[in-house]
Amino acid sequence: MLRITEHPILGAPEKGRRVEFTFDGRTMSGCEGEPVAAALKAEGVMIHRYTSKRHEPRGIFCAIGRCTDCVMVVDGVPNIRTCVTPLHEGMDVRTQYGVTDRKDFGEEAR
Amino acid sequence: MKRYDLIVIGAGPSGLSAAAEAASKGLRTVVFDENERPGGQLFKQIHKFFGSKEHKAKVRGYNIGKQLLQEAADAGVDVVLNAPVEGLYPDHEVTVRIGDSLRHFKGDAVIAATGASENMAAFKGWTLPGVIGAGAAQTMMNLHGIKPGNKVVMLGSGNVGLVVSYQLLQAGVEVAAVVDALPHVGGYGVHAAKLARTGVPFYLSHTIVEAEGEDRVKGVTIAEIDNKFNFIPGTEKHFDADTICVAVGLSPMSQLLKMAECDVPDDPSKGGQAPRVGAFGETSVKGVFAAGDVSGIEEASSAMIEGRITGLAAAESLGFITKQELEAETAGLENQLASLRRGMFAPGNKGRKITETDEGIALSESLLTQGYVADDEIARFPGVTKQRGIHPVIECTQNIPCNPCQDACRKGCIRIGKDITSLPAVDTDSQCVGCGLCVAACSGQAVFLVDEDYEEGYASVTLPYEFLPLPETGARGTALDRSGAPVCEAEVVEIRTSPAFDHTNLLTMKVPADMAMTARFFRNQKTESEAC
Ligand SMILES: Cc1cc2nc3c(=O)[nH]c(=O)nc-3n(C[C@H](O)[C@H](O)[C@H](O)COP(=O)(O)OP(=O)(O)OC[C@H]3O[C@@H](n4cnc5c(N)ncnc54)[C@H](O)[C@@H]3O)c2cc1C
Ligand code: SF4
Ligand code: SF4
Ligand code: FES
Repeated sequence: MLRITEHPILGAPEKGRRVEFTFDGRTMSGCEGEPVAAALKAEGVMIHRYTSKRHEPRGIFCAIGRCTDCVMVVDGVPNIRTCVTPLHEGMDVRTQYGVTDRKDFGEEAR
Repeated sequence: MKRYDLIVIGAGPSGLSAAAEAASKGLRTVVFDENERPGGQLFKQIHKFFGSKEHKAKVRGYNIGKQLLQEAADAGVDVVLNAPVEGLYPDHEVTVRIGDSLRHFKGDAVIAATGASENMAAFKGWTLPGVIGAGAAQTMMNLHGIKPGNKVVMLGSGNVGLVVSYQLLQAGVEVAAVVDALPHVGGYGVHAAKLARTGVPFYLSHTIVEAEGEDRVKGVTIAEIDNKFNFIPGTEKHFDADTICVAVGLSPMSQLLKMAECDVPDDPSKGGQAPRVGAFGETSVKGVFAAGDVSGIEEASSAMIEGRITGLAAAESLGFITKQELEAETAGLENQLASLRRGMFAPGNKGRKITETDEGIALSESLLTQGYVADDEIARFPGVTKQRGIHPVIECTQNIPCNPCQDACRKGCIRIGKDITSLPAVDTDSQCVGCGLCVAACSGQAVFLVDEDYEEGYASVTLPYEFLPLPETGARGTALDRSGAPVCEAEVVEIRTSPAFDHTNLLTMKVPADMAMTARFFRNQKTESEAC
C-alpha cells in the first residue's frame, strides 16, 4: 500500500472523497482532487506513456508539471500532464503511445 | 493591462518576504506563483529549519510558509496562485497564464524570486519509470500522501538528498542506501547522522552503474569510482529497489531574467546561470531585481533576508523610501546575512575541503565518509561532556548557522555565543533538569540526554523520535549505535509528547551503563524487519 494513512508529522492526509475512474478501461479508484498521477501510483501504475520514436516507457519524474514524462490521454485528450491534473469521478485515463492512445502508435491511421 | 508598483514572481520565502516588506512601505504589490500553494520549496519541507529565531529556526518548513503568507496578506499583498509567469520583458511587462488565458501586467519594479530547479544525472536506465527527482518524492508523499515507492536508493548526499531520505523513512519507505560520487557527504553532518543511526548505509565515491528493469525500476547496481570518475571493477553492489531518487543539486531558474535581457553569467559558485546583482539585488536592467535561490543557491534563511533587502530596494527605487532609509534598514539585514554566510557550508566555502572547525577541532572523518561520528571521535566536541546525573550530549560537530538548542535551555546549559555558526558547548556549571526542550528544539536531531546514573548498572538515553508507530513505555527492543548497528537490548522507560515539542517525541530508553555513549536509536522488537 502506497497510501500514507498516518504520518508522524503531518497526521492523516486531507483527502477528497473516493471516486472511480478508468485506466485503459479498467476501473480503479482514487481521491477526488488529487493529481491523476497520484491516484495511478497508489494503484500501482508506473507506466504513463511510451515515447514516439523508441517506444520507451516513461512515468512520473518531476511531479510538478515541468518534465512532461507523465503525459497521458485523459478523456480523449492527449498530452495531459497527469501530475498536475486533478482527478474527477469517471475520468477516462489511457496510456499514451507516442501521441495517441493506440498501441500501434497510430501507425494504421497513417 | 493591469499596473502594479511591484510585481514579484515566485511565492517562496524570498518572494513573500520581498512583497511583505515592499507593501509595508506602501507599494501596491502582487505576487504570482505557479503552484496551488504558497511557500515555494517550504511547503514541502516538514523538518525543523536551521537558523536563529529571527530566521524562524526550529519551525517546520510548511509552517514558515504559512507565517510568511500571513505576513504578506496582512501587509496588503495580492498573492495569485496557479499563475505561471511566462514572460518578463525589459520594459517590466509580465505575462501570466491564469486559467486558460495569458494575461498582461506591468510593474514599475519587478522582483524575480523564482528559486531553483533540480539537476538531473544520466546513468544507464535513468529514464525508466521509477527514477524520480527528489522534489517529486517530496511532492508525492508530503503533499499528496502517497509513497513514491516501497524501497528507494537515493543518489546525492547534499542536504536535499539527506532531508528527503529522512522524509522517506518518516513516510514509511525503506531507504536502501544513500549514494554519492563525491568522497564526502555533501550536506550537514547532523542530517546524515540522523539517517545513519536508523541503519541507512552511505556509499561515498560511488555512483549508479545501472537502473535495472525492463519497463520499470526493479533494482540498482552501484560501484565505486576513482578520482577520474571511472568505475572500479569488482566494487559493484546490487540493491533491490523500486525507486531511484535523484538529488544531485539545484540550478537557479534564471530564464525569465534572461528574457528580460539581464546579464546572467555562468557562475559555478552560485550553482549555474545566475543574474549579476548588486548589494540590493538589483540586476543590470533598471527596476528588475532578483532575490533568493535564483541569484545563487543558498538557504531559506538567507532567501528571506535577501527578499527583505530587495523589497526595500524596490521601494527606494520608486521613491517610497529615501536612500538613507534604505541604507539604515538594510544595514541590520546585511549583518544577519554575513553571519549566516560564515559557516563551513557557506557559499564561499563551496567545494573547499575543510578539515577542522572554527574552534580548531579536527572534523569527524567518519561523519564525512560514512554519515556518523565514530565512537572514538565524539568526545572531542564541546557539546559532549561527562557529568553525574542527567545532562545534554550534543552531537553537533560542524559550524552551521543554527542555534535553537541554546535558546531552548532556560537553565543555561547550552552555549553557542554570539556567532551563530559556533559549535554548541555544554556548560557543566549549569544544572540540567532533564526537561527535554533542547532535544525537541534541535533542528538536526543532534541533542540527546544521557544519565549514566539512572539505575545500578544502567544508563538512560533520551532521543528525538519522529516515526510511527511510537513505541510504548515498557516496550523492549534493540538499541542501535550511531552507525545503525544493533548494540544491546533496550527498554523504553518514558515517552514524552507535547505541543511544545511540535511532533518531535522524546523517547527515553534504559541501556546497560557502558552503552550510555554508544546507544543512539531504538528499534522496536516487533518492527525489527521494517525500515526503522
Ligand atoms: C529538501 C530541501 C530541504 C531544505 N532544507 C532547508 C533548511 O533546513 N533550512 C534552510 O534554510 N533552507 C532549506 N532548504 C532551502 C530552501 O528551501 C531554499 O533555499 C529556499 O526555499 C529558496 O527560496 P526562494 O524563495 O528563493 O525560492 P523557492 O522556495 O524555490 O520559491 C520559488 C517559487 O517561485 C515559483 N516560480 C518559479 N518560476 C515561476 C514562474 N515562471 N511563474 C510563477 N512562479 C514561479 C516556484 O514554483 C516557487 O514556488 C531546503 C531545500 C530543499 C529542496
Ligand atoms: S534538558 Fe532542559 S535543562 Fe537540560 S539542557 Fe536540555 S533544555 Fe537545558
Ligand atoms: S545542536 Fe544546536 S546548533 Fe546543532 S543542529 Fe541542533 S539546534 Fe542547531
Ligand atoms: S511528472 Fe513531470 S510533468 Fe508530470
